[in-house]
Amino acid sequence: MAMNFRGFVPFLCLSLVVACAARPFYLLPSKIATQNRQPLQTSRPYNIAHRGSNGEIPEATAAAYMRAIAEGADFIETDILSSKDGILICFHDVTLDETTDVADHKEFADRKRTYDVQGVETTGFFPVDFTLEELKKLRVNQRYKFRDQQYNGMFSIITFEEFISIALDAPRVVGIYPEIKNPVLINQHVKWPNGKRFEDKFVETLEKYGYKGSYMSKDWLEKPLFIQSFAPTSLVYISNLTDSPKIFLIDDVTIPTQDTNQSYWEITSDKYLDFIKEYVVGIGPWKDTVVPVKDNHLQPPTDLVARAHARDLQVHPYTYRDENSFLHFDFHQDPYQEYDYWLNEIGVDGLFTDFTGSLHNFQEWTSPISQNDGKNKSKASRLLDKIGLLISAYKNG
Amino acid sequence: MNWIGIIVPFIAVSVIGGCVGRPLLHPAPIRKPLQTIRPYNIAHRGSNGELPEETLAAYRRAVQEGADFIESDILASKDGVLICFHDLTLDNTTDVAIHKQFAHRKRSYQVQGVNITGWFVVDFTFEELKLLRVKQRFGFRDQQYNGKFSLITFEEFISVALHAKRVVGIYPEIKNPVFINQHVKWSDGKKFEDKFMETLKKYGYEGSYKSKEWLKQPVFIQSFAPTSLTYIANLTDLPKVLLIADPPTRTEDTNQSFFEITSDSYFNFINKYVVGIGPSKAAILPSIDNHLSETSNTGLVAKAHAHGLQVHPYTFRNENLFLTFNFKQDPYEEYDFWINKIEVDGLFTDFAGSLHNFQEWTSEKGN
Repeated sequence: MAMNFRGFVPFLCLSLVVACAARPFYLLPSKIATQNRQPLQTSRPYNIAHRGSNGEIPEATAAAYMRAIAEGADFIETDILSSKDGILICFHDVTLDETTDVADHKEFADRKRTYDVQGVETTGFFPVDFTLEELKKLRVNQRYKFRDQQYNGMFSIITFEEFISIALDAPRVVGIYPEIKNPVLINQHVKWPNGKRFEDKFVETLEKYGYKGSYMSKDWLEKPLFIQSFAPTSLVYISNLTDSPKIFLIDDVTIPTQDTNQSYWEITSDKYLDFIKEYVVGIGPWKDTVVPVKDNHLQPPTDLVARAHARDLQVHPYTYRDENSFLHFDFHQDPYQEYDYWLNEIGVDGLFTDFTGSLHNFQEWTSPISQNDGKNKSKASRLLDKIGLLISAYKNG
Repeated sequence: MNWIGIIVPFIAVSVIGGCVGRPLLHPAPIRKPLQTIRPYNIAHRGSNGELPEETLAAYRRAVQEGADFIESDILASKDGVLICFHDLTLDNTTDVAIHKQFAHRKRSYQVQGVNITGWFVVDFTFEELKLLRVKQRFGFRDQQYNGKFSLITFEEFISVALHAKRVVGIYPEIKNPVFINQHVKWSDGKKFEDKFMETLKKYGYEGSYKSKEWLKQPVFIQSFAPTSLTYIANLTDLPKVLLIADPPTRTEDTNQSFFEITSDSYFNFINKYVVGIGPSKAAILPSIDNHLSETSNTGLVAKAHAHGLQVHPYTFRNENLFLTFNFKQDPYEEYDFWINKIEVDGLFTDFAGSLHNFQEWTSEKGN
């Protein structure tokens, strides 16, 4: 069928757009029937792609998330904040300064502000002072100078909905792990109609895309989800709105909770864990508080993991990074030794990693999922496996 | 019959037998042989990612971690003792600067056309060198062992390998032979290369590559100086490896360029003397803006393989500053690439443990 020139130009433009978008040009959410997709693995600890594969590509961008999925992540993780006009976006910092080119945009030069953020006077360009349209003009940069800079200025900030659609679009079942981030600050600066709060809009967005069901339910396995937050009242609040599983994040020992001003010692006490376990399925602590560090060497571990596990609380520590500046000397500058220690000696249930590909390699090479491992492996059967390996090593030794 | 006289010794023997963990009457177990089916894991200066380089501790750690070969640089002290040490000067990796009695020993010498100032190993007797303590070369590695270990001799290095519970090969280098022969003289006209070979022969190292003798005590002799290798070819048929530095470095003995010693005609000549080459990684695949490009592959590996030469590139390190971005700051991705895409035959690594993990974890899958 011949195409005249006038018809050809739009076709050419469309092809360019398709090629540039670099992924199949079809409507979202995915048209692939859910039952045909490879399910979420649940027989070994979760590989949680912290801000996507941001070791390689600027954090929390579509490209970083798609790379993470290609590399085998079980979950893609993000921090949810809000724009001035109440659109939920994927962005980690309360200011745009470190990871965007906002400083290059002369039209925004007058937007710099100083706000109190969790008791700290913070100056910068705040997302809550920009509409989504304005935020979309910015381009994201790699946060760390020692990582690949070649994608700086190429990608934009994405919305919560765009993030969700990346997971739903994936060729296999990939879970999402969004954070209700800085809710105290967001609710101070952004107002939604009908008296809705940040937490309401957050849950609304998830429900819009069909996320529901308690941990390991049929609904949950089709669309896996963990909701995380440092603010316990936000988690307690949304418990009335959804039974999707929630994770209570725990910051360093010096940082009190932003909403209830409770210390690390209080929120990790037996009494508090007994309370919070009614609302969450697990905790997400900073790894150096689980196993303290001195002179870049590990000290004896605390009992936090044992006390959490005794209450059926999962433990998903953050954050694992390949660069040797983040690795304690016990690991010999080898990120796989770190994974080995945390998965096999400390026995955690998931890991937030900037290098989902490395974690995936480690897990595939040392604990591949066979056809028979469909069910959630109990601790007892894992112990039997270890005994079996010990015996066979002795026989062959 | 007094049954106690039978039962008690029987129980005693069983207890001993049980405790020893193996039948009492069998001979000592044969050591697990060198693996020869996958690329060699060569512990470059021992596990110096964790412990100061070229110390007993670094070599023992490397053996523990699964190295196939432990590697060393051989130099000579003023009184002709062969020692394990990489630099010609003691400045960067020892505490020589704090020894007041050696303050006046600083010298300036020409080394391969460059003026170098420092405390040179060739100006210290072995007894004096033993007074020094070794430290970790890189500031970003574990400093906790600084000042604890001393320099070792070639013979002490060999004994680490011979005492290992499994067969571990050695990979010593005839290092800076031009300089050493200029500054150190041995009795009866012997050269550095002669003393080097004497030491190996003393400990029973002999045999061509993969011969029965070689498999019992594996060794590769390496050098940047081709004439040293052709010289010792008359003394031994032990396998030798020609090291190749990046351009614009020229060979210290024959002043030949990189391009000359990697040419087809040169390989045609040298493959009568060596079983392989040890090039820098950049000589095979240069990087641009910290990215490797397959299109800039110099073809060195293919050429070497075509001439029947093994390729053992140096040096693999875990720290991200040594990794190009292609590898996503993951040292195992680098091993995967060099072993499975470039198909080298051995790797000099500062992290024998990491390479061992990679090879063990990926071997069953037929990767």
